[in-house]
Amino acid sequence: MNFLLLGYLIVVVVPLLAASWRVSLLGLALQGLLLGWIALRSHHGLSPLSGIVLADCVILRGLVAPKILHRILTTHNTPRRNDVIPANLFSWVLVAGIVLASFRFATELSEVQPSNPLHLATVTAALLLALLVLSSQTSMFSQMVGLLRLENAVALFELLPASHESVLVQLGLSLVFLLTALLFGRFLRAELRSGSTSTPRRSHVTL
Amino acid sequence: MTEAPQRGDIAVLDAPTSAPPYGSKATTALVVVALAAVGASGWVATMMSPETTRLAFDGFVRIDGVSRLFLLLINLVFLGIATYVWGRVYSTPALQDTIGHYVGFALVFMTASNLAIVSNHMLVFWLLLEASTLAAVPLIQYRGHHTSRAASWKYLLFSSVGLTLALLGLSCIGRSMELGSAQHATFFIDATGPLIRTSDDHWRRLGLVLVLLGFGTKLGLAPMYSWLPDAYDAAPPATTALLAAVQFNVALVAVLRVMQAYGMADAALVSGELVSLGLATMAVSALNVLAARNYKKLIAYAALNHAGVIAVGLAVGKDAAYGVLLYAVSNAFIKAILFLTAGKIRVHYQTEQISEVSGLIKDLPYSGSLFMIGTFALLGLPPFGSFLGELMIMSALVASSYLLVFGSFCVVLTVTFVATGRAIFPMIWGEPKKQAHWGRQPVATILPKLLFFVALVAMGLYLPDGINGLFRRAAAELGAP
Repeated sequence: MNFLLLGYLIVVVVPLLAASWRVSLLGLALQGLLLGWIALRSHHGLSPLSGIVLADCVILRGLVAPKILHRILTTHNTPRRNDVIPANLFSWVLVAGIVLASFRFATELSEVQPSNPLHLATVTAALLLALLVLSSQTSMFSQMVGLLRLENAVALFELLPASHESVLVQLGLSLVFLLTALLFGRFLRAELRSGSTSTPRRSHVTL
Repeated sequence: MTEAPQRGDIAVLDAPTSAPPYGSKATTALVVVALAAVGASGWVATMMSPETTRLAFDGFVRIDGVSRLFLLLINLVFLGIATYVWGRVYSTPALQDTIGHYVGFALVFMTASNLAIVSNHMLVFWLLLEASTLAAVPLIQYRGHHTSRAASWKYLLFSSVGLTLALLGLSCIGRSMELGSAQHATFFIDATGPLIRTSDDHWRRLGLVLVLLGFGTKLGLAPMYSWLPDAYDAAPPATTALLAAVQFNVALVAVLRVMQAYGMADAALVSGELVSLGLATMAVSALNVLAARNYKKLIAYAALNHAGVIAVGLAVGKDAAYGVLLYAVSNAFIKAILFLTAGKIRVHYQTEQISEVSGLIKDLPYSGSLFMIGTFALLGLPPFGSFLGELMIMSALVASSYLLVFGSFCVVLTVTFVATGRAIFPMIWGEPKKQAHWGRQPVATILPKLLFFVALVAMGLYLPDGINGLFRRAAAELGAP
């Protein structure tokens, strides 16, 4: 399990250092696939619940969500460069500091509450880095990447305890994630079409 | 954006001769559904063993005092909004083409909101709140221009971050239960009590902080409040009323459920967090009201102040429970009146700038009067329910020895009071800038606001036993003596 968590940490950190939207989406896809792998290892035996969790991680988070955004960006010939965090030494040091602080936090918490320190450190780092992306970026695409990173981090936290008691609840969570990804696609398409102009699309009459 | 062909403000009962076929069908359906929802929630509130808590559908549905009160509230407000929309579409044929989608999403929004309020499972509650958030996005975007798209994106972004933090918090609480003696987690509200460990538990405490912060985002509590004024300003008035009077109360019920299920073991932590969030929100609101130049945004910032007052009231706990409920219900009606009237003022003056609107009471007597009444209630003046609710919260603060909080509370309220009055009173009583123009206005757009006004006064002066019983029962579930 530990090598999977280390792999997850790498796919969380590395895309931050590469200022390209393709690398960001590849990072999200790899996060989804690794989540699926971790889910497979942590759910002993195949059940309807574990099947849904696996499909949620691999298909929705690993393939569908990144693919929707990729297709829209490709269709609009978006320039390759996209900073996920500001490209400067301060941001990179901040990233390193967040990862180190996450390990420190996980070690201390594990001493008072039994838990896997590496799992906890990976979740904490992924969460804090997602919040860093959200707080430092103003472009819609970067904020979407930040939000998807945040949702993946929460999904990673939920994987080990396996505390969802109902298949229906897990189905609902997956459905909400899918609807959110589709809505992101609509927003991104509209944003790329209009650019920064404020062109009214519809009549002036409102309720 | 500009608005429909201008109409004046006097209520004339006769309707236009030719009704739009599609638009009126969709909006008539909306009114019929809203009527049915009010009937059903009224029946649940008064007839279905009002003194007991009932569980149904394998324990997923919970009918108790809190759900009875808030079901009735959100459906009454929805009926008012549906009637307003019907009236607008009836009198403005240009709205016909796009109203079908609006009605569809409004129905999804209301279905999710109703189901959330009766949910007995925190994860299902979370799911339904998220579903109502997704349904609200196209409602905010209805105007279809860049500003409304940007505001709806901000709404979605902040809501998603807040709800994701709330989900993380619930997972932390689940982890706490699994590490406890029960060895398993459940999110059924009625089954949670025995699984909550009384000892110091880091996971549970971390979870509670995150859940309150997450659901607090949906209430517009600081620090994640900035979506609220933008979304309220950019959305059509009917949507703003839905967000301010319906979704706000669904999020409030989520916080009440969290306190019912998990809060007792960590009362001091919950209280401390709610006081901090509440006072910070009130301070942010006061500063922004002082600087506001747009009357719709000003009302939105005043709504932030209400969220802060409610958070402080919840922090005090059982002594303020009745006052908090009275205040929350009153504010749903106040916000519905003010935002729907703001829409009318916007139509008439073609602007949302405070400095451009003057002499409302002469120029638009009906909307001006309703705006004046709404403002008085907003400021917490008697004889409205908001006055009584605020008074109860303040006396509970003193009785519970929260004297420093009480002092800060009074200072911030005074600043908000003065700033709001200074901005809005010239709008109402100043010299009119436009020629008085009393054209037709369908009674359907005025009637809901009048009914909300009656409800507001009733809550301040006299509540019938049945309705008062609903408040008392809900307050008792929150610990009120």
